[in-house]
Amino acid sequence: MNSPAPSPDTSLRPIIEARQVDKRFGSFHALKKVSAVFYEGQVTAIVGPSGSGKSTFLRTLNRLETHDSGEIVIDGIVLNDDLKNLDAIRREVGMVFQSFNLFTHLTILRNITLAPMRVRKMERAAAEQKARTLLERVGLLSQADKYPVQLSGGQQQRVAIARALAMDPKVLLFDEPTSALDPEMVNEVLAVMRELAYSGITMLVVTHEMGFAREVADRIIFFDDGVILEDTTPEVFFTQAEHERARAFLSQVRHGF
Amino acid sequence: MNWATRYPGWAMFAAMAGLLAFLWGLAIPLAAAPEPIGPAAEQFADGARITVWLTLVAGSSGIVIGVLAGVGKLSRFWPLRRLCDAYVWLIRGTPLLLQILFVWLAAPSILPEDIVLSDFACAAIALALNVGAYNTECVRAGILAVPWGQVEAARALGLTPVQTFMDVVLPQSMRVALPALANNLASLVKDSSLAYAISVVELTMVGYRVQAESYQPIPVFVTTAVIYLILTTAFTTLTAALEAQLNTGQQR
Repeated sequence: MNSPAPSPDTSLRPIIEARQVDKRFGSFHALKKVSAVFYEGQVTAIVGPSGSGKSTFLRTLNRLETHDSGEIVIDGIVLNDDLKNLDAIRREVGMVFQSFNLFTHLTILRNITLAPMRVRKMERAAAEQKARTLLERVGLLSQADKYPVQLSGGQQQRVAIARALAMDPKVLLFDEPTSALDPEMVNEVLAVMRELAYSGITMLVVTHEMGFAREVADRIIFFDDGVILEDTTPEVFFTQAEHERARAFLSQVRHGF
Repeated sequence: MNWATRYPGWAMFAAMAGLLAFLWGLAIPLAAAPEPIGPAAEQFADGARITVWLTLVAGSSGIVIGVLAGVGKLSRFWPLRRLCDAYVWLIRGTPLLLQILFVWLAAPSILPEDIVLSDFACAAIALALNVGAYNTECVRAGILAVPWGQVEAARALGLTPVQTFMDVVLPQSMRVALPALANNLASLVKDSSLAYAISVVELTMVGYRVQAESYQPIPVFVTTAVIYLILTTAFTTLTAALEAQLNTGQQR
């Protein structure tokens, strides 16, 4: 009895294709021939226990980790050692990190304008105009001239989202974006992500926020021990997950929260 | 040095202006001093200018060498890494005086005949290579102190490795490296005195000559020491201010 995978609707265009992706860290087998296709506009939540390979998988998609074998194709470009391909892909794929990673020596505004000016060769004035628009969108326009250390964790993460958006990415990768936040700051970040999800951008979100996954995601992928165990809709995953391992995980996180 | 960290812009300006005014006008107050300083006022002023010039030339070249070798030491290309290791090992393991003498005496036999290095140039080269080796370790430590997440964020945004280094890693590494680099610069002001061994007429050489003529070592060497103290104070004020400037974004 297979849970129905989200049907590859013909109107949806594949934007990320991972085939037989394999990755080892020394003797630890982090990803075991993982295959998945992600479609334009889709919001996918990637869940699973710690060390299951979900973050590693996400990080292989923009080559912050190199995969040992298999193939990853992003928007028609093969991800490999070719630096031209890599630069092209990184321009299209934005990333938001667990620890924000804002550039500590730059103001909030400069954090956002740096990549558009250097990579897209935007004029400073245009880049700043765009940065202000994005800061307004995440509700932080008044903080433009401050430094990252002066902001709360939730505010920093919202800036990090604005920074990623400034490159007009086709895909946004979120690597546990709320895990480093105090509980009262989680919601302000999730609110921004929710708004993004409804704007139609393709999102892959590694998260432990089951409420968010259930409400916002179109699709849930459950990782365990380096393989995708479940790939289904939130309704199916949260009510009738196929594998015992997934049901056990769900009961654990429910008790945990 | 609290005011220097509170108003870094003004402090830098004041230190620079003070240094220039001091070098320019040094001979005037010294000329009013009694024997044996007064008659030698111009000599002291010239010596101080040579010392500062030597420090600035060797110091700025030393920073460039330090950054290049510091990056080289972290290179993934092992021959470059070994080369930089060997350079630091060689310079730190031998006396500065020997290095100065080596450049001065060996350069003519190594270089093509139509290139003649002045004594000053030999001293500047030796001092730059020397301070560069010490700077290398400071720069390397600074680069290693930049969290890896900063690099990942820059790369994920599409910045090239060179852009990542120039825009993100280097400025952040300087915040860590600067106090140690400043220390090296202050040492350099004093180390430049060793250039007297190859007949560069810098401040110490002037002091030595004046006392040799006057047989009055105490006033002569006290004067020399005071000039050195003023110079090192100006340089440390300058670097403290620069440090404070780079520190923006660190405190709340």
